[in-house]
This record gives sequence, structure tokens and C-alpha cells, in this order.
Amino acid sequence: MIVDVNAYLGHFAFRRLRYNTAVSLLALMDSKRIDKAVVSSASAITYRNAQAGNEEVAEEVRGHSDRLIPFAVINPFYAGWQDDLKICHEEFGMAGLRLYPKWHNYQLSSTCCRELVNAATERGMVISIPIRVEDNRQRSWLLNVPDVPLEEIIELVKAHPKARFILLNGIGYTGCLLGRKDNVLPSNYAIELSRLSAVLANELGQLITNLGAERVMFGTGMPFNYPDPALVKLEVLDASEPDKEKIRSQNAMTWLRL
Amino acid sequence: MKDCIFFSSVSCPGLPVAPQRRLSRRMFLKDSAATVVAIGAAALPPACAAIEKPVAGASSSPLRKGRVIDCHAHLSHRSRTTWEADDRKLIEAADKLGIDQLCCSILTPQRPATADGFRECNRWTSDGMRRFPGRVLGYCYVNPGYGREALDEVRRCIGDRGFIGIKLYNEYTCTEPVVFPIVELAIELGVPILQHASHSHYFVEDQPRMSDGGHIAELARRYPEAMLICAHISGGGDWEWTIKALHHAQNILLDTSGSVTDEGTVEMAAAVVGVDRVVFGCDSSMTAGVGKIRGANLSAQDKEKILSGNMMRLLRRRKS
Repeated sequence: MIVDVNAYLGHFAFRRLRYNTAVSLLALMDSKRIDKAVVSSASAITYRNAQAGNEEVAEEVRGHSDRLIPFAVINPFYAGWQDDLKICHEEFGMAGLRLYPKWHNYQLSSTCCRELVNAATERGMVISIPIRVEDNRQRSWLLNVPDVPLEEIIELVKAHPKARFILLNGIGYTGCLLGRKDNVLPSNYAIELSRLSAVLANELGQLITNLGAERVMFGTGMPFNYPDPALVKLEVLDASEPDKEKIRSQNAMTWLRL
Repeated sequence: MKDCIFFSSVSCPGLPVAPQRRLSRRMFLKDSAATVVAIGAAALPPACAAIEKPVAGASSSPLRKGRVIDCHAHLSHRSRTTWEADDRKLIEAADKLGIDQLCCSILTPQRPATADGFRECNRWTSDGMRRFPGRVLGYCYVNPGYGREALDEVRRCIGDRGFIGIKLYNEYTCTEPVVFPIVELAIELGVPILQHASHSHYFVEDQPRMSDGGHIAELARRYPEAMLICAHISGGGDWEWTIKALHHAQNILLDTSGSVTDEGTVEMAAAVVGVDRVVFGCDSSMTAGVGKIRGANLSAQDKEKILSGNMMRLLRRRKS
């Protein structure tokens, strides 16, 4: 069983994505033997009204709920986010959130964001945060969106010990508190592996040593990314098979109550 | 069962798990067929199943058919106290990932490189070729601004030390006249130039003389006999721009290396410039490099060309 906690549906404003419909993404997953994927709207990253993207995803995954697990993109500075959160959770069955503080131009430490995190946590929703959407060096001439600094993530996880966070598309965790052993932070976050090195510096191996395999999850970033680099990381990872199984699926299934 | 344990991307319940998996050339190719079948594209020929993996470093020939060649790699600069272990890790990673040969250079930590600096790097590269025989192939790194000293160094490395090509970094944009004698010498010797490149839609302040695909295409028009490799199309710049800029420059190959794993990159490169002009590379992003080729929706024959065939064709044009 493989569960991908980092997948997307829909269009991205600055590059054509393939495999971005439910049917085509499922075909890609079949070819890579990925059983389930957490999906959110790629379009909602740049839509002003992110809820339109959530509605598109809800429509797209209908009939595929056994394999595609929808997450909502919510901008806590946009009018009506409380209504959107309720609809996404109660009507669309979305089990979690994806937050884009830099793309949506707000601070993780802001009051609105904290209200959103608290509201999602009360609903038992998981909150995932892509540290980046794409490599900033290839950005459009229209905008310059920085990665989410890991220092801001540290403050967030400290401020919300009861919340559960999955950190996507990041690296450099071992260079800060998030990836250090005995770091005194709450154990309320897991780290997805798509950008982590599995050879040479082997940050993936270091994180397993420092935090435990329970805190690492498999993810690909498809269809932005090829799924294969993440699969290759698991294949070459020097870890026990039980640990690999946790990373491959068990951790995500536990967190998502699958 | 063999395929499942050693070549598949997932484990198989009930079967024993190898303690140390070594990916293979077949691994690069296998999933491409699966993807094509799954999405209903044209069926692949069964050639992938017949490709056998050579034992790394076992052949006396440095250019044996069927090898996987990383066209863009680096050994560690010896100012790092861990350089020896780092070099070993590179080879171990190549072993794990089924990469047979790595075309390596060493760059000075500070640039522009001095003549002493690039000569020292090349001595260490040469030493790396001796320490890892058959695994490490050398690029001679020079700063073209040193004129005669740079040319002498290229002749020494290619002629006496068995290096396979030249590495140019960002000391000069490749269209500046100071670079031309290096290109002319590469043509004389019949060796490729790997040109550091990227294209961003903003000025890269720390690399003011960065070359991009447009510059390399301009250089290729000036020197149609030159064999140029545009480095790391997945190295962070706008890879779609770079691929399009290189469309009409027939004597430029595109190196797939870099940390970016955007889906579709390799397929677009193959479609726009032709699969004969795409070469596999990692530039230290090892699983990204391997995964991109494995994930690309191309035929097994096309992947063969990218993994080694195209690079071998280039290296066989050496004149001495």
C-alpha cells in the first residue's frame, strides 16, 4: 500500500499540468502502484476565491473517494472562509487543509490564520503546508513568492500543540529545530519526503533517526512533479522494512483515519 | 520475482526484501512501459526486458554499450574536510542507483577561478579518475579569462590525463570572445563542452555572466562543429524557455540534471529538440535525476539514448 499525501488536481496558473484530472491522475497512480492520494486544487493557489477550486476538486473526486482524499485550500483573509471551511468539511468530506501563506499573502502568526488552524483542529482536520509550490528560480515575471521560512513553521507548531501539520515540499529541516532530535517541539507535525535527499546528504535518513519513522510520510507532488523521484527515494532508503511501511502508508492512514 | 525485488518501485507482500537494493538500468526503463500502457499511449516494444545490467566498472572499455552515464557530476573540492568520504558517497549513491559512470569536474569554491585554482581542481579530478577507475570520467574546468594558461590546461587534461571534455562555469557568458579560443580548441580535440546555464526571468545578481540557452544557441551558430552541452535544464530556471531556445541549435545537447522534478520536462525536451539531443545527468541531485528518466513517458529505446547512447556518440568523436 502506498499513500501519497502530496498530490493535486486542476490547473496551475504558470505551467501546463498533465494528469491533473481525477481519471488521468488515477491512471498515473495505477502505473506507479500508488493506491491513494491526498489531493487539493492547484487552481486555488492563484484563484482569488479559493473556494471555487475546492468546488472543482469536490466535483472531480466524486466517485473516487476510495482513492482520492480531498483537502481544502482556505485563505483565512478571504471573506467567508468560515462558511467555506464548513462546506468543505461537512459537504465535500474534505479531511484536511492546504495553506499557502506566501501565495495568499498572510502570516502564519496572524490572528485570522490562528483562527483557521483552531477551527480546523476542532473539526479534526489535518493541516498541510507546502513550503513551496515550485522552484523560485523558474518563477514568472509577474510575481516573486518566497518559500515559507521554516522558522515560521516552528512558531506555528509551537502555538498549536493540538493541531496536526504535514509539511510538504520542504528541505533543510535538519538544519533547524524541526528536524533535530529532542527538539522540545510538540510532536504534532510530520514531514513529507518529496524534496528530501535519500543519498549523499541523506536528510531523509537523518530525519528518521532524529524524529522516528512515524514522523515521515510519502509524497510525490504529482502532477507538478514526476512521482518517480519520490518512489526511488523509498527504494534506496537504508531503513527497515517496517519503517518503510510506516512511511509508505501507515503514518498517513493513521493521521487521516483511513 | 527477480523483477519484483530488484526492479519494481514497490515491495511485494509475502516476498523477501533485499537488505540493500541496487537499482538497475532496467529499473530506469521498466516503469515507462507501465505508464504508457496505463494511460493508453502507444505500446512499447519489449526491448526493455532484454537490456542487461553491466557490472559497474567491470569492463575495460570506458564506453561500453548499455551503460548509464551521468553527464554532469562533481567530485568534492578538497577544502572540505570530508572530501574523501563525500567522493565515496557519490560512488556509493551511483552504485545504488545503477549509474555506471559519472562525468565529473571539480569547481573552485570561490569564482572567478584563478589559474592555480582550476589547475588544482583538475589535478584532483585526475586523481579521482585514478581512485575510481572506469567510474569517474573527467571534465577539465577552466576560466577562459586566463587565455594561454587555460588553453594549456585543456591540452594537458585532454591530451595527457584522459579527460573527456571541458567544463565552463559562469566566469564569462559563453558568447564573449574570450571564450572562443576554448571552443576552437575543443573542436580541434573533438571533445564536448559542458556549459553551466540557467534562464530566470530576473537578473541573477550573484551570477551576472550566467549563460542561458539563448547564449549557447548563439555560440552554436558561430561554431556549428562544436559539441556543446547545455547544463541542467532542471537546474532551477525556466526549463520550457531553455528547451525552446535550443530548438534549432543542432549541435547542442540538453543535460537533464538538476533538483527540479517537474513532470513533463524530459518529454518536452525530447519532443522539441529530438531525443538524440537529450543526455542524462544528475548534478548531485541523484534520485531526482534517476526518477525523471524513469518517470518520463518515452520508449525504452529513447531512454537508452538519453541514459548513455547520446553521450557515447558524443565522446566517440574525440580526435586523439
